[in-house]
Amino acid sequence: MIIVKDLSVERLDKKIFENINLSLTSGNITILRGKNGSGKSTLLKTILHIIEPSFGTIYWKGKLLKKNLYDFYDNVTYIADKTSSLTKLTVKDNINIWSRIFFSNINNSQLETALKTLKLENYLNKKVGTLSLGETKKLEFLRLIIENKKVWILDEPLSNLDEDSVQLIKQTFEDHCSQGGSIIFSSHQNPGIYVTEEVQL
Amino acid sequence: MIKFLIKIIFFYYREYKLNLSGFQDILTNIIFFFVSIFIFIFSIGPDKDTISVVGVGILWTLLLLSSTLSLRKFYQDDFENGNLVIMHLNGFSFGFIAILKTLSNFLFVQIPFLLSIPIACILLNIANDKIIYLITSFGISSFILSCLGSISSSMNLMNQRNFLLGSLIVMVFSIPIIIFSVGIINMEESFNSLINILFGILLIVFAINPWASGLCLKLSLENK
Repeated sequence: MIIVKDLSVERLDKKIFENINLSLTSGNITILRGKNGSGKSTLLKTILHIIEPSFGTIYWKGKLLKKNLYDFYDNVTYIADKTSSLTKLTVKDNINIWSRIFFSNINNSQLETALKTLKLENYLNKKVGTLSLGETKKLEFLRLIIENKKVWILDEPLSNLDEDSVQLIKQTFEDHCSQGGSIIFSSHQNPGIYVTEEVQL
Repeated sequence: MIKFLIKIIFFYYREYKLNLSGFQDILTNIIFFFVSIFIFIFSIGPDKDTISVVGVGILWTLLLLSSTLSLRKFYQDDFENGNLVIMHLNGFSFGFIAILKTLSNFLFVQIPFLLSIPIACILLNIANDKIIYLITSFGISSFILSCLGSISSSMNLMNQRNFLLGSLIVMVFSIPIIIFSVGIINMEESFNSLINILFGILLIVFAINPWASGLCLKLSLENK
């Protein structure tokens, strides 16, 4: 589905990374490993075409990503390292907004199950700003289920999570890949997840 | 197409919810506006005729200053929490996001000022028959201010250290708007021609806004 060929990004004449190659097909998980500041987030944003690469090309379904951008966006969910939930609103409001904006086909019982699994069912009427970092992160993961898209691009998804939540995320990754989905995520630590490709930055 | 329209509707639902939760910010702007009017009245003195003569100028200056107060939040929150990226991934180009946010600023920031103009006119002893001219000119000019605000705020995302620069840009570019808007009230016979000029400025700024703001948003996200 995604092929990244000889990708390089420079900023102010400083090379962030160079000659990155990776391919992501259905059912695969790719991990981007590297120290802080090695360019993992930049690479993810470049794949999303938020950042223009200095060199190299990205293909989506065999076509240049640039020319097939909105089809790519129709199939991708991106979760950044920071929370995108609206902190002034309640968890319920955030879920309502996401469900409507992303035309989610998830029904109420599926949503309730997801909330219970993520242990967020008691926080529905709480403002996101009052949640802990881990709880906010789990709320972000709910967007993966609400959007229900094939490709997940996740920046440091395992940071700020306790061991139970990490296990849950691993299980979610496996389920998604078994259903034909694919995942690219970054991590500066060893996540202990089975991955099909590792890119070292 | 229908799917896209529904997305836009729920974008405004999101903006409505956000503005409702931050209602105190809107209220603070309005209070700033009215307190400033009182300060002007106390500093000029109790002479009704003097207040009446300078009233329109005061009103416009304060409307401009009050509306620039909220400029900082135009894109900042969505930029910081990554919602600009999510909106873009949801199928909105950066230029289109700029149009949507400009309309949102007009609806949730400028309209409350528009509604408070009649009360401000009473305080400043502005004749009743002039209120309708003032509201019409502010209706158009406030939309111009929203467009200018969008451009300056998106530029400010690239220059996080000096927020005042953005406000300065808005104030410099709003000088012609103030000239024509105040002219409408003082030269009622030229109402049509002056309103056409204001409308022309609106069309120019509205055309430039998505292009300029969209580019600034893209560049600021690239350099985040």
